[in-house]
Amino acid sequence: MRRPRTIGLAALGMAAALALAACGGSSGGGGSSSSSSAGFNAAVTSVVNPSSHKGGTLTFGDSSTPDSTDPGNTYYAFMWNLTRLYTMPLMTYKSCPGKCGLQVVPDLATGPGVVTDNGLTWTYHIQPNIKFEDGTTVTSADVKYAVERTFDRAKLPLGPNYFSLLLAPQKPAYPGPFTDRSKNLMGLKAVTTPNATTVVFQLAHPFADFNYVVAIPQTAPVPPNKDTGTNYQLHPMSTGPYKFSSYQLNKQLTMVPNTFWKASTDPNAKQLASKVTVTWNMNANDIDNRLLAGDLDVDAAGTGVQAAARAKILSSPTLKASSDNPISGFLWFTYINTKVAPLNNVDCRIAVEYAANKTNYQTAYGGPVAGGQIASTVAPPNVIGQKAFDLYEATSKPNGDLAKAKAALKACGKPNGFSTGMAYRSDRPKEVATAQALQASLAQVGIKLSLHGYPSGTYFSNFAGVPNYVHSHNLGLDIGGWAPDWPDGYGFFDFIAAGNTISPAGNTNIEELNDPVVNNLLNKMATTTDATTRNSYTAQIDMQIMKDAAILPGVYAKSLLYRSPNLTNVYVQPYYGMYNYAVLGLK
Amino acid sequence: MLLPGRNPGRAAAPGIVITFIIRRLVATVFLLIVVSMITFAIFFLIPRLAGQNSYELATQYVGRNPTRAAVLATETKLGLDKPIYVQYGTFLKAIVFGTHYNSGTSTTYCTPPCFGYSFRSQQPVWPQMVSDIPVTLSLAVGAAVLWLVGGVAIGVLSALRRGTFFDRFSMGVALLGVSLPIFFTGLILLELFSYKWPIFPNVTFVPITQNPLLWARNLVLPWICLAFLYAALYARLTRAGMLETMSEDYIRTARAKGLRERKVIFKHGLRAALTPIVTIFGMDLGLLLGGAILTEVTFSLHGLGLFTVEAVQNQDLPEILGVTMLAAFFIVIANMVVDILYAVVDPRVRA
Amino acid sequence: MPGTLLEVSDLRIHFPTGDGLVKAVDGVSFSLDRGRTLGIVGESGSGKSVTSLGIMGLHQGSSAQISGHIRLDGEELVGAPPARVRELRGSKMAMIFQDPLSALHPYYTVGAQVAEAYLVHNHVGKKAARKHAIDLLGRVGIPQPATRVDDYPHQFSGGMRQRAMIAMALSCDPELLIADEPTTALDVTVQAQILDLIWDLQVEYHSAVIIITHDLGVVAELADDILVMYAGRMAEYGSAEDIFDQPGHPYTWGLLGSMPRIDEARLERLIPIKGTPPSLINVPPGCPFHPRCRYAGMTDGRSQTEIPALHEVEPGHLVACHLTADQRRTMRAAQVLEEAEAPAVRMTQGDV
Repeated sequence: MRRPRTIGLAALGMAAALALAACGGSSGGGGSSSSSSAGFNAAVTSVVNPSSHKGGTLTFGDSSTPDSTDPGNTYYAFMWNLTRLYTMPLMTYKSCPGKCGLQVVPDLATGPGVVTDNGLTWTYHIQPNIKFEDGTTVTSADVKYAVERTFDRAKLPLGPNYFSLLLAPQKPAYPGPFTDRSKNLMGLKAVTTPNATTVVFQLAHPFADFNYVVAIPQTAPVPPNKDTGTNYQLHPMSTGPYKFSSYQLNKQLTMVPNTFWKASTDPNAKQLASKVTVTWNMNANDIDNRLLAGDLDVDAAGTGVQAAARAKILSSPTLKASSDNPISGFLWFTYINTKVAPLNNVDCRIAVEYAANKTNYQTAYGGPVAGGQIASTVAPPNVIGQKAFDLYEATSKPNGDLAKAKAALKACGKPNGFSTGMAYRSDRPKEVATAQALQASLAQVGIKLSLHGYPSGTYFSNFAGVPNYVHSHNLGLDIGGWAPDWPDGYGFFDFIAAGNTISPAGNTNIEELNDPVVNNLLNKMATTTDATTRNSYTAQIDMQIMKDAAILPGVYAKSLLYRSPNLTNVYVQPYYGMYNYAVLGLK
Repeated sequence: MLLPGRNPGRAAAPGIVITFIIRRLVATVFLLIVVSMITFAIFFLIPRLAGQNSYELATQYVGRNPTRAAVLATETKLGLDKPIYVQYGTFLKAIVFGTHYNSGTSTTYCTPPCFGYSFRSQQPVWPQMVSDIPVTLSLAVGAAVLWLVGGVAIGVLSALRRGTFFDRFSMGVALLGVSLPIFFTGLILLELFSYKWPIFPNVTFVPITQNPLLWARNLVLPWICLAFLYAALYARLTRAGMLETMSEDYIRTARAKGLRERKVIFKHGLRAALTPIVTIFGMDLGLLLGGAILTEVTFSLHGLGLFTVEAVQNQDLPEILGVTMLAAFFIVIANMVVDILYAVVDPRVRA
Repeated sequence: MPGTLLEVSDLRIHFPTGDGLVKAVDGVSFSLDRGRTLGIVGESGSGKSVTSLGIMGLHQGSSAQISGHIRLDGEELVGAPPARVRELRGSKMAMIFQDPLSALHPYYTVGAQVAEAYLVHNHVGKKAARKHAIDLLGRVGIPQPATRVDDYPHQFSGGMRQRAMIAMALSCDPELLIADEPTTALDVTVQAQILDLIWDLQVEYHSAVIIITHDLGVVAELADDILVMYAGRMAEYGSAEDIFDQPGHPYTWGLLGSMPRIDEARLERLIPIKGTPPSLINVPPGCPFHPRCRYAGMTDGRSQTEIPALHEVEPGHLVACHLTADQRRTMRAAQVLEEAEAPAVRMTQGDV
C-alpha cells in the first residue's frame, strides 16, 4: 500500500527539530495527564480507553494531500480507513484489535457473498433500510453504479481496478457510466440487480477472495443522480456515521454526524464525536509536535512519527507509554531474479539468503522500532494463515551464516562467488542504505554487487519492472516492498509470486518465479471457498517461495504511532496497520 | 523609469499616470506570456531531454495502478500526447476564452481566466489559488507592517545613536535575523510558544471576516517569524540610509533654518533615506504575495506558498503554471507600483 | 557699542578625534556692526567655515569643544541653551551655503522650503507663508515667482538656486546673514549677479553680512572689513582699504599675488604660495605660516618658536607677524616689483 510522502522541506527543519528534541527531552506531552496512558503497545492488542462518551471535535492532520476523497478513486491504506467514516462498502474489516481485526465481515451487506455456479457467481443481499445522508434509501442499483464508476480509467484512474479484471467481460469493453451516459448508465452486464436489495456479480474466473475485493471502498453505494463525476470527491453521499459539511480541496475537510446513520446497522463504526476535521498538507514535524502537545488527535497517514518525535517519545517513559509500535503490513525485501545467471541456479540464490546480513538490513530501514522486525518469511505476521519459520537462519543468525553461504556457492558451481547487479530506488535513503549494506555483506563471500539506482516514479514501469531490462542489465537483485490489498495469502502472494503475473512492464513478480507448486497453490486458493483450507495454503506458498530462494525477506515494517490521551476506543486495526479511525471518540 | 511630462516636476497629471499604467499593463501581459512559455518549456523539455516520453509522463498522474489503458486514457485526457505548442495553445485559449470541462456527469464552463484543471484532482486551479490568496495576503501584509515599522524604527534609532550600545546590540540582533533561516526561527517560535507553553496553540488560519481576533492571534507567530528576517534587513538598510542622509548638506540647511531636531530627522532626513527602502519594500512585498513558502510550510498555513510546494511535488502542470503566473503578476504589479511611488517620492525622477 | 551686532572674542573650536585634537579655530576675535560686511578669507582648512557654523550654533550635537565668546546683539551664544540658539537660527541670524543644489532638499519644492523657514519662527497659515515665499523669490530676482514657487531645486539653474537660498535665508528678516562661499559653485557671470543681490539686500534690510570665501576678488567688492585666517588663527584683520592698500601679513601678500587681476593692463605671472595648509592637529610651533613664508628667516628664529601676537600696525588694522614695520614695507615693495616684472604667462587653472 502506498505511503504518503513527507514534505521534503520538513526534512530541512529536521536538524533544528532534532536539536530541539534533544533539549526538550522528557517534556511531558500536553493535553490531559498521564492517567490514561495504558502503556507501550497497549493498543496493539486491546482497546485503549473504551468509552461511549459523545461530543468533541476529532482532529486529523495529514502531511500531504489525498489522492481523492471519492471512495471509488483512492488507493491509500489510510484513506480506505478514513472513508469508513462516511461510507459503507458491501463488506469491511471487523472493528476489533489483534488478529480479530483481519476478518472481513458484512457491512452494507447482510452476509458474505453467496457463491454459486462453481465460484463464478457471487450474490450479496444488502440491508434494506440503510439511508444516504439525504434520507433516500440505498438500493442495489447504487452499489452497481459505484462498481461501474471504477471502469472509467480516464475519469477515475486513481483507485484499484479489480472489477475490470475480475468481472465477466462484455463486448465492446464496458467504458464506464460517463461516456454516453444514456447508453452506459447501468450498462455493466456483469453486475445485475434482480431487486432493490440484491446485487449479483458474474466473474470471469472463480475467485475465492471476492469478499475481500468488495471490502474495498469502491463498493460504497453512489446514487447515480447525485454523482458528479470528478467533482464527487467534493461531497460524496454519505452512508457512514459522518457526512461532509465542508471541504476546501486539499486544505480542510469538516464532517458532522450523519443523522440518518444508525449504529444498529453499522456495528463496525461509531458516531461519538460531534465534529470531525481533517487538515491536509500540514508540515509533518508540526503534526507530530501538535500530537504531543495535545492540539491534534490523530496523524491520518498512520505510518508513524518522524525521526525527531521518535527520539522524543522513545527517550521519555511518559510519552512511550502513550505510543504503539505495530506491524504496519509492509514487507521490505529484495527480489532474487530466477532468470539472471548465475542466480538461475537455486543454490546461488540460497547463498545470497545465507550471506545477507539481516541486522544491517533492519538498521538500514531504521532499526527495530522505526524500521521493523527482521523477516524470515515472505508474509508478515498480519497475513491470515501466516506461520513463522526460518529456513535461512534470519532470526537465529541475523548477521548471516557465511559458512553455509560458501557451501551453497560451491553447490552452484561458484565457489569464489560471482558478480551481479542490484537495482534500488535512488530517491529513497533507506533503500540506498540497504543496497550498500547488502553489497558489503555479500562481498564477504565473494558475491560482488554493482549498484544501480533508479527514480521511484519509474522504477516499476521502466526499469526493475521490465524483465527485458532486468536481463539485459544483469539486475539479479532488485529491491522491493509490498503490502497486500487484502490480508490473506492470495492477496499477498499473487502479484509477487504467481507465474502468470509476470508482465513485460510494471511487473511486480520481479523474481520471475514460475514455480508450478506455487502457481498450483495460488490457483487452488483462488477457487477454494472454504476459508480454513484456503488459508492453510498461505504457509505452504510461503515455504515454497523461500525454498526457491526467490525472495530475500528484509523486515516486517513497523511504525511508531503516538496515541493521543484525548482519544477513546483506540486500537490498531491490523489490516491497516494503524488505529481504526471508524470508532474513535474523545474524552 | 520616467514619467513622461509636459510639466515635469508637477504632481503628474492624472492622464499621464494612466498612460503609464496602461503601458505597463500591456508590458505585463507580454511578460506573463513569456513566463508561461518558460514554465511550459521547463516542465516538458527537461524530462524530454532526460529521455522521457509523454507516456511515461502520464504515468505519474494515474496513481498506484498504472495499467496501460489508464495511462493512455490519462495521456489523452490531459492532452500530453499532443505537441507542446498545441498544449500551450490550449492553455492560452483557456485563459482568454475559458474552457468547458466534462466531469463525467455534467459539463461545466470554466470562466476566463481559466488556468485549467489540476492533473491530479481534476478540480479547477483558479478557485483553489483564489482561496489561498487571503492566507498569503494576511501573512505577507501583516508581517510587512511589522517589519517596516519595526525595522525602520530600529534603523533610525541606531543611526542616531551610532556607536552606542543600543546601536551595536540592535545591529547584532539584525545580523542574527538576517542569518537565521526562516524554518529555524519558526520552529523555535513554535516549540516555545505553541507546543511547550500554549500561548499560541494550534496555529491555523482563521479568515478575518470570521473572527478578527483569532485571525490575528493565530498569525502572530508566523508574522514574527517572517518579519524578523526582513526587519533585520530593513534596520540595517535604514541605518545606512540615515547615516548617509544625515550627513547631507540639506540637513545642515534645515538646522540652519532653526528647525527642531525632530523635524530635521524625520521631515528632512528620514524622508530622503526612505526612498530606496520604499522601493525595496514594494519588491519584497510583491515577491511574498506570490507565496511565503518557507513560512507557510513551517506553520502549515494553506497559502500560495504551500500550494506551490504541493503543485511541484505532484508535478501538476496546471497548478504550477497558475501559481507561477500569479506570482509573476504580483511581482510585476509591485514593480509598477514601486516605480510610480518612486516618482511620487523623488521629484528628480519625474523629469 | 550700539551699532555692534556681533562680537566674537577669543573663539576656540576644537574637535577631539582619534588622531588627536583638531584645533579648527584657535583664538579668533572680531566684531561686526549692522549694515556692514565682513569678509573672512582663507584657504580650505583655515577655519573660516567652522567659525561661521560656530556662530550659528550648528556644532550642537557634534563633539566640538567651544570656548570664548560669541555675542549676538549682546546675547551670549557660547554655552547658551540649545533651544534658545535654535530660536535665533533662521530668525535673527541666517546662513547660505556653498552648493545650493546639495544644500536644498531635493524632495521639497523651493517654495515649500522657503515657506518652511518662515513658518518655523512665525505662527501664520500655510497660505500666508506661501505668499511670503513668492514675494521673497521675486525680491531675489527670480522671474515668474508665482509659478516657480512650485518647482523643485533640480529645475532651477545654479544662479537661481542660490537666489532661492538667499530668499530662504532672508525669510525672517535676519539681522545677520552669513554667506559661506556663496559664489564658488557658480559661473563667473552669475557670481557678479549674486554678489550684487547680496549688496542690494544688505542695503535694503540693513543687515550685517559675513562673507566667507577663499577668493579675495569677491571680498574686494563687498567687504567693509576683512579677516584673513590661517590655520584656525587670525593672520590679519582690518578694513578692506587697509588690507588691499597696505597688506601686512606675508600670507595676505601671497593671496593678493596669486589673485588674477583683470584690471591690469598686461597679464602678470601668478605667484602661488608654495606648500600646503598645515595639519590642524599638529599646528607648526610658533607662527603657523612659517613653513611656507619666504620671510620666516628674517625673524631671528622667532617665527619657529613664538606665536606672533596681533599687532595694531595702523588704527583698526591688526597683523599677526614677527616682521617689523620696516621689514614689512621693504618686503612688500620687493614682492610687488617681482610680480610686475614676471614674464607674461598664460593663466592656467593650476596657477591659482
